[in-house]
Amino acid sequence: METRLEPKFERLSVSRRLRGMLGVDFYRLFHTPMFYIFLAIAAIIPAMVLSTGGQDGGAALYTNTWNIIAADTPLYVVRDIGDYANMNMVFIFGGIMVSIFIGHDYRSGYVKQLFTTHAKKRDYMMSKSIVCAFAMACMCGTYLLGGAFAGILTGASMRVNFGSLLVAILGKMVMSLGWASLYTFLNVLFRRHFGISIASSFFLGTGIPIIGAAAILGNNSALNVFLYGSSVNACLSSNLVTLGTCVVVSIAWAIIYNLLGSAVLARSDVY
Amino acid sequence: MNAIEIRGLKKSFRGLYALDGLDMTVPVGAIYGFIGENGSGKSTTEKLLCGHLVPDSGKMKLFGKSYKDAAIRYRVGALIENTGCFPNSSIYQNLMMQAINLTLDNPNEEIQRVLKIVRMEDEAKLKFKKCSLGMKQRIGIAMALLGDPALLILDEPINGLDTDGMRIMREILLDITQNCGCTVLISSHILGELEKIATHYGIIRQGKMVQELTAAEMEGRCRMFTSIKADDMQTAFLTLRQKYDNVKAEEGYVRVYDVNDTEGIVDTLMKSGCIPGEVTKNRIGLEEYYIDLMSKKGA
Repeated sequence: METRLEPKFERLSVSRRLRGMLGVDFYRLFHTPMFYIFLAIAAIIPAMVLSTGGQDGGAALYTNTWNIIAADTPLYVVRDIGDYANMNMVFIFGGIMVSIFIGHDYRSGYVKQLFTTHAKKRDYMMSKSIVCAFAMACMCGTYLLGGAFAGILTGASMRVNFGSLLVAILGKMVMSLGWASLYTFLNVLFRRHFGISIASSFFLGTGIPIIGAAAILGNNSALNVFLYGSSVNACLSSNLVTLGTCVVVSIAWAIIYNLLGSAVLARSDVY
Repeated sequence: MNAIEIRGLKKSFRGLYALDGLDMTVPVGAIYGFIGENGSGKSTTEKLLCGHLVPDSGKMKLFGKSYKDAAIRYRVGALIENTGCFPNSSIYQNLMMQAINLTLDNPNEEIQRVLKIVRMEDEAKLKFKKCSLGMKQRIGIAMALLGDPALLILDEPINGLDTDGMRIMREILLDITQNCGCTVLISSHILGELEKIATHYGIIRQGKMVQELTAAEMEGRCRMFTSIKADDMQTAFLTLRQKYDNVKAEEGYVRVYDVNDTEGIVDTLMKSGCIPGEVTKNRIGLEEYYIDLMSKKGA
């Protein structure tokens, strides 16, 4: 029998593996119309909220443009829609976007290619979390543009502590990582049931469990340990401590959800 | 070293064993024809090797290391059930995603190379959803070929292809094994096609390996025979039995096994005054061998 040369296998670094997975996910993100549709949605929503408030003789929802980004103080207890309808809504739509993005991996069967060449399941979790966090951070960006533009058009007050506004926006962008990891985990957990994935992402994205807890506990800063709590905490009275809290909470939950997701994928059939 | 080594592999779905202690050995450089009935466990084995499924128990090694080894799995190309391409993306975009995934240094060159192998250089811009089944199968092969794979795992790659498509696929597989030196595990129900390319065979039934053999061993077990119908079958049978070792009366024919000299057989009959009306030369191929083996094991 003919003798064949045995193949040589180079050592594969974590960075190279992750570069490959991130590369393909970013390529997909930038080549899918869905991403741009969600960016547009994120821009339209604050404009709609600002421009429709105050019609038919009712009180305007916001007198200050920047309340469309965040409340003046951390309001975990929701009194009216104005307390709720701010940049945190990006995380609700972000959940839907992540569900579609990951769901498409499974529906097309492309996930098979990824798992054939990537033996380490954590590569998948990390890559999806990072790419979806980037997408949500971009949505925060277009939300900001949409809100500011609508504020100018409606003539709402633009008065704000610029530093706190910047910290609030950065805080929410940072929180994207934690949210994206949560949604990636949910989509991996319910990967065979797209409807449940999207519904659970939407439900948790609304922050209803934390709002419910706040209804009992009141405006308690302990709620900042949760993703929704820290997202609310990034408000127009934020300072660097707020931003630091957002960084710690977001990364901590990202690690937790990435570990959980990797464990789920490693211990169960991929599809 | 073997490219694939599986020992005592078990996998169940809802309590039913799809694989029940499978053993399998695929040498480096082989084209391993993986044969079995529907539901015998072929696809399950391939999915397990690719890490898509988690085994209940057993050991799987690729090139002497665990199948979970990241460096080895990076050089496994697979086409299992479907190509795993995005329907709204072009062929080029789908291949580019895989090239990026594999962090290839020259993705464009590599894509052109695999498109040339599968003879689709001119269709790169076509959307995947507009491709025919044969084209999709070839794209699947191209995806699997990106990045110099050491092992190709192909699940029914010739299913649904027309005669020309099968020929192209056969040429592609022979070309890549000869020129790229990779090992190929290929499952198929089209045994006639498999017979033309396989160097090794594994026959699986109900989650267990029934038989593993090389193409040469298979050739040895596939027998040549000549079927004869004559005006006097009794005389023909007795005459031929006197001269040849292995003569049988089967299915209305006198059959002479393991003799390649058809003219000699006819000559013998003529000399005995027996006029042969129908003479056909046959060979028990892989398909007949497989059916025979399955019927024995199933009994």
